Amino acid sequence: MARGVDVTEPVAIVGIGLTSFESAKSGQAYGDMIQEATAKALADAHLQRDQVPSVVLAASDLIDGRGISSMVFASAAGAMLKDEIKVAEDSAAGLTIGYLRLTSELFDVSIVAGWSKSSESPLTLVQNLAYEPFYHRQLGMDDLAPAALQAARYCHITGCSPDAAAAVVVKNRRNGAENPRAHIRQAITAAEVRDSPPVWWPLRRAEVRTESDGACVLVLARGNRARELSDRPVWIKGLGWETDGYNLGERDLARFSALAGAARRAYAMAGINDPLHELDLAEVHDFTAYNELMAYEALGFCGPGEGARLAIDGVTDRQGTLPVNPSGGVLCTNPYASAGLLRIAEAALQLRGEAGGCQIPGARRALAHGMTGLGGQSHTVVILEGDKEKAR
Amino acid sequence: MAPNEPTMVVPGEWNIRYFYTAGPVAAHFFQELKEHRRILGIRCPQCQRVLLPPRGFCERCFVQLSDWVPVALEGKIEAATIGCAHLEGLPEPPYAIAFVRLDGADTSLANFVTGVDFSDIEAAAARLHIGARVAVEFSPELAGRITDFHYRLLG
Repeated sequence: MARGVDVTEPVAIVGIGLTSFESAKSGQAYGDMIQEATAKALADAHLQRDQVPSVVLAASDLIDGRGISSMVFASAAGAMLKDEIKVAEDSAAGLTIGYLRLTSELFDVSIVAGWSKSSESPLTLVQNLAYEPFYHRQLGMDDLAPAALQAARYCHITGCSPDAAAAVVVKNRRNGAENPRAHIRQAITAAEVRDSPPVWWPLRRAEVRTESDGACVLVLARGNRARELSDRPVWIKGLGWETDGYNLGERDLARFSALAGAARRAYAMAGINDPLHELDLAEVHDFTAYNELMAYEALGFCGPGEGARLAIDGVTDRQGTLPVNPSGGVLCTNPYASAGLLRIAEAALQLRGEAGGCQIPGARRALAHGMTGLGGQSHTVVILEGDKEKAR
Repeated sequence: MAPNEPTMVVPGEWNIRYFYTAGPVAAHFFQELKEHRRILGIRCPQCQRVLLPPRGFCERCFVQLSDWVPVALEGKIEAATIGCAHLEGLPEPPYAIAFVRLDGADTSLANFVTGVDFSDIEAAAARLHIGARVAVEFSPELAGRITDFHYRLLG
């Protein structure tokens, strides 16, 4: 039985700042987009820039089109003449760094900023450059190709059918239509999913991540400082992260092995034994519909091979036992490097009761998941709780 | 700033030259591929797995590797996909990629699958099913690159 970890000075999310999410923010400069989200997060935390001593950034140099893009954009995240560090992966990993910086007690408040404006880049070419140059890069693959191999392998091993993937798409798109912050806000039918053109067989266009420009910034604070700054702090109760090996030909493509490890650590820290019943919602990185099904299994919402059943039975619908991606997920909004932090922000808004049209009534405890790398090589799992005293 | 000023976009392109050092392991693999049309895996002395692509160390056992093992030029598909969409910077679709477990190897090696009739994508995918047998087929001109060979469906 997981007992949980006692952190005497817990860390909370006290500020949330999001831009709108769009296909192409051609009317806004890259840095202005980041500054907009940062200013909103600071305002939400009732803080001035000079009151935040630590800044954690998450971005992709190749998407940003600037080498060491944090040198160009750190100031847009409020970091001028501050202690600043960048992770070159999904921004959920940035949250773990922010958490560790605060629990080190060197800082009491930190910004965590993630952004991508992928419309400025040749995205598939950028993703192809993630392949090592000897054995894989010449084979014409982007970031969706490994997800397609996973989908094929997952269906082969578990007997999952395209109907289960369509159920995930229909659910997330229906949720996204109700989420005022989502990029794609249009419901879709299972027949439309089935009729959407193939991208990488067996993946169809409607079954894969969208591409969005946008930024997501959080402000974290520790202990009493968090209580001072926010009347609705969202506490980080569990964290876990893990990275698999690089070689896709060596991995179990039907499973997110590293996500299972990350979840074990996060659940142990938060004292969760039965995630399906102990969580009120989950925001997972649904890079594809099949990836969401794989995440159900790795996160222990069901046993191996049971992910499809969960989706088809509506267990993860907004009215189900455990709503997954009430925001619409990455299928609806995918600002690449900031996608993981957006999962966390959406979960935190749920726990504050501020999710709007996609609000899960009375949500108290949530899971958020971010991932990076070809075929989801690295995963971060965060367990969040609303404030007990301030619960409404 | 006038409210109706046109948006301004400046084009840019990165064209950056690298020299990627293969190291002795990859260099030997590609040399054998080019000179002898052989595919060599490398065996881990600890876990005994024959790894493809070969590498200098076993990530699991964290020991250095030097035990070269020729694998068969036939194997079975572990997973395959068909690129169906036009994507910037990638080859013109359709094309098939398979991760293949060559007989004698414990991991899969990726390459294109040629000779597939793509007129019906679902039918092509059915032929590229997991477990389907494929053979390695070499290009007439060998350059010591992974594209020196591709897979062809057997039967």
